[in-house]
Amino acid sequence: MKGSAYIKRYWQLYALLLLPIVYFLIFRYGPMYGVQIAFKDFNLFQGIAGSEWIGFDAFRQVFAMPDFYVTLRNTFMLNFLDLIVSFPAPILLAIMLFEMRSVWFKKISQTILYIPHFISWVIIGGIVYQLFGNQSGMINNLLMNMGLDPIPFLTEKNPWLLTYLFTGVWQSAGWGTILYLAALTGVNKELFEAAEVDGAGRLKRIWHITLPSIKPTIVTLLILNLGKMISIGFDRPYIIGNVAVREYSDVLSTFVYRVGLESGQYTLATVVGLFQAVVGLVFILGSNYISKKLTGDGIM
Amino acid sequence: MAVKARKGVLSRALALAMATAMTVSLLAGCSSKSAEGEASSKNGAAESGKRVTLKVEVFDRGNSPAPHTITNNYLTQFVQKEFGDPNNIDVQFVPIQRSEEVTKLNVLMASASDVPDIVFVYDSSVFYRYAQQGGLTEVGPLLDEHGPNLKKFLGEETLQYGKLDGKMYAIPGKRAITGRYASYIRQDWLDALNLPAPQTTEELYNTLKAFKEKDPGKVGGKVIPMGMALAPAQYEPLIYSFIKPVKGDLTYPQRYEMPFHEGFKDAMKFMNKLYNEGLISKDFSLDEDKSQLVKDIQNGNVGFFSDDVDRIFYDDGILDNLLKNVSGSKLAAIDAYTNAEGKHAKSRYASNGLYIMIPKSSKRAVEAIKYLDWMASGDNLVHMYSGVEGENYELVDGIPVMKPDAPQEAVDRIYNGGDMAIISNGKNFGDVKTNEKAWIFGFPERNQEMLRQSIDIANQDTIGPIAFGKPIEAEAKYGTALLDKLNVIIVKSTMCKPEEFEQVYEQEMKDFMAKGGAELQKELEEALKELK
Amino acid sequence: MSERASNRMFEAFLIVCVFIFVMLCLAPFLHIIAISLSSNRAITSGEVTLFPIEFNWEAYSKVFSDVSMLRSLGFTIILTVATTLLCMVFSVAAAYPLTKGNLKGRRFFMYLIIITMFFSGGIIPEYLLIRDLHMINSVWSLILPGLISPFNLIILISFFNNIPPSLEESAEIDGSSHLHTLIKIVLPLSMPVLATLALFYAVGRWNGFQDSLMYINNPDLYPIQLKLYQMVQNNMVTELTQMEGSNRTALTPESLKAASVVFATVPILLVYPWLQKYFVSGVMLGAVKG
Repeated sequence: MKGSAYIKRYWQLYALLLLPIVYFLIFRYGPMYGVQIAFKDFNLFQGIAGSEWIGFDAFRQVFAMPDFYVTLRNTFMLNFLDLIVSFPAPILLAIMLFEMRSVWFKKISQTILYIPHFISWVIIGGIVYQLFGNQSGMINNLLMNMGLDPIPFLTEKNPWLLTYLFTGVWQSAGWGTILYLAALTGVNKELFEAAEVDGAGRLKRIWHITLPSIKPTIVTLLILNLGKMISIGFDRPYIIGNVAVREYSDVLSTFVYRVGLESGQYTLATVVGLFQAVVGLVFILGSNYISKKLTGDGIM
Repeated sequence: MAVKARKGVLSRALALAMATAMTVSLLAGCSSKSAEGEASSKNGAAESGKRVTLKVEVFDRGNSPAPHTITNNYLTQFVQKEFGDPNNIDVQFVPIQRSEEVTKLNVLMASASDVPDIVFVYDSSVFYRYAQQGGLTEVGPLLDEHGPNLKKFLGEETLQYGKLDGKMYAIPGKRAITGRYASYIRQDWLDALNLPAPQTTEELYNTLKAFKEKDPGKVGGKVIPMGMALAPAQYEPLIYSFIKPVKGDLTYPQRYEMPFHEGFKDAMKFMNKLYNEGLISKDFSLDEDKSQLVKDIQNGNVGFFSDDVDRIFYDDGILDNLLKNVSGSKLAAIDAYTNAEGKHAKSRYASNGLYIMIPKSSKRAVEAIKYLDWMASGDNLVHMYSGVEGENYELVDGIPVMKPDAPQEAVDRIYNGGDMAIISNGKNFGDVKTNEKAWIFGFPERNQEMLRQSIDIANQDTIGPIAFGKPIEAEAKYGTALLDKLNVIIVKSTMCKPEEFEQVYEQEMKDFMAKGGAELQKELEEALKELK
Repeated sequence: MSERASNRMFEAFLIVCVFIFVMLCLAPFLHIIAISLSSNRAITSGEVTLFPIEFNWEAYSKVFSDVSMLRSLGFTIILTVATTLLCMVFSVAAAYPLTKGNLKGRRFFMYLIIITMFFSGGIIPEYLLIRDLHMINSVWSLILPGLISPFNLIILISFFNNIPPSLEESAEIDGSSHLHTLIKIVLPLSMPVLATLALFYAVGRWNGFQDSLMYINNPDLYPIQLKLYQMVQNNMVTELTQMEGSNRTALTPESLKAASVVFATVPILLVYPWLQKYFVSGVMLGAVKG
């Protein structure tokens, strides 16, 4: 295509992109010079430009801390378990809701299912402890009244992991359905009608029509999730975790909080952040590449 | 051709990208520079007759009653009228959320231009870091010149806390009350068993055993002889009765420095014994916010517990609710723990409160000192804490006694008194006895007598923190991690089987030492030597 | 088993499963409501589960008589609506061109965006930027920095990509401009995902308060979640407040906290039921085809 023809044909698209790109440059790339902090002995009062360069000293310091590896392992472990358990949960729930015929029950359910997303972790934490406490928790009280042994939901590794996963599913599954439901409503109704004429069983239909129709959405979210394998929110592990399971609940974000932000050591915090960013970028681009090869779908 | 067009579009986009990114970072660079530049001239402009603005940090706790806001309320207006207007100064308050104070303060400090002229923190390591990085105005000479009332109010002992390498970089607030913890026992349980109040740790142990075996409160299987939580007010009094202070009645200041003391292991062993014999709250390791403990106390299941000296006495608080829930219940304040010397050793606060600082970038250092000096003079502090005589309080023996029937409007106007009167932590009227009296008057009358007993207990045989007068570097570096590790030590060595105690304790201590504990201990010991 | 009977069994199975999960999601919220209506004694003694004990409205009358809470709620609603609208416009404008495989520079722009999902400058440079743009204490500091979420943008691109290319191509052959195709064909076909993203942005804004913690010093511009956060967090006796000693104030009653949570949550909960009307399948599709 000739240059002038190309521009004539595509100028509107570039015009649309202009403001968003300016946004990214100012608000996202503007502060990016802050990554220098990782290579400097940052002094609050000298500013970033005035602080001294220290090269990779801070990286060496972080990589020499045993806690770094423990928290890195835990971050991977918790995220991996979440990927296996919490990632499919909303897909399952969305399909159940979609298959349901009772319209009013469906609508009410959807509205209630996403309530947990709005309750802050501090409050969820309080409720979790009331429910799952060893001696005083409601569930264990029930078990003990029935003459059974209490289950250490919060203080031993495996039960605690279950509690952690359960609260994650509970908090996010309903919220996660929204996107899949949006994808499902876009599916051509005629496909379903045709399948029904065929007398295809419902499970079969789910497998052959419903799931494939939301496959691009699943793939997109999966790739985005893989990009986040090494980053983890602070609140959930911190609040659901406790001293007894510290060896498993201690993650990179709590590590950064401890060594970096709270004691004002921005350099160490930035080093960990930079490490997470590089790994995250590799993960997302890698999984995108693999997915493109395998399924033809990807994020770019 | 196509290549060219592509190049054109891309290079233009790139040029734009570079341009915007560069202007932004240039801007950022410039303005912080210029702010620093201007800051070097420090002379009070107020003297030259120009009206100036003094910016003062204030903690925002989100508890402003309408129509007050945190930046515009009775007390800010009082400050403006009594201090600002006569001195030709606009006093502007900058709210900082209480729970994010240090994060926000760091950012403001880095911005130089937006930081208030008066800032403060409780954390000594933050103060030392600011001072060491050269971010604070030296206040010594200013204080001599402009702060006579302030100096008199604070006194030499408190002022020492603001020094680094012999120079004053912070003005330490003065603490009114240094007593911290008291313990309580169910008197009705003792009466039912015909037992005297335990006077020593040994007697306490026997009493707890009796509570467990005989269940004098008839609460069935729910009896908790000693209420415990993973919170300092619960475990510190117990541990302090075992450890040997390093310097007379003074010892290392931070809680995570307890494991360095002789006797710490014995304290853990005692906890282990109590736990394994079912004498303390089973779920204490999960109860960091004490909500389970409060529940158990209020439902009458707990026989004995320790707490902050004031905590149970508030209106509709723990004591009130226990008496409401369990008829015939009676609580008594006691001093049960004893150490090897037979003393009721327990920790007390240092005599300072907030570290009040003036950033180096501030051009209003003189006005800042004047403001604090004004606060310390006349009856301004009384006004900020207690409001208006006749409306909020009556003077009894020179002590302001809050009127219980004061209208809500009057009560509301001093809701932030404690946060505005930064030079004083608690109500300061001179000597400690008077301060305590004044504090007690703020509580419901029915609880005042027992609070008085609690305070007396809290002041008995106290062990104070050493003021090293210089930063302990390892505290800033490892403090948060070690504090967390201390909790792990306590939980693991308490909850393991008695026969495993040795091994678990040694293992956890080794880990504690590896996580910076060893470095900290060495530094503390050296600092201690220098002090002697 | 006949097909109808098996269908009914399947439906019953679905309803039971979903019902159990719904109850699990509802119970904690009922617990919070129950606390907001109970006495302090009953709450701190652990008597309240799903129903109020010693029922009273006191906490709500306190919340509703607090002018600053009401004002903050009003401000947050306006802020959320404005933010959502702007975010949607920017996200659509960014997403649509990036679905065009033959747009030159597309990959470059995609990399530009994806990098920002991982790298950021940290709070100090971000604060300095907002200051240099003179947006401290301005609502813009709460709107502009989060204008486009790369995460949401990628989702939108993925949905746009799933629109059958034939529809757009036929429009283009008719001589329709890109802008015209976007507005007349792509957007109407994308109502469910647009509604979803609007919900994501709205909820993100509603629940966010970290930015206001940094950028806002004027109590009139406190979002409701910041006030809530203050109430829940500032009153906790933590490490931080240990040193306050006798300067400590009495704690906020649990019932007031709970009532404030309900007050700040219910308005945003109502958004989804309202948006559900855009989750209608096939309607637009049929219209375009016809």
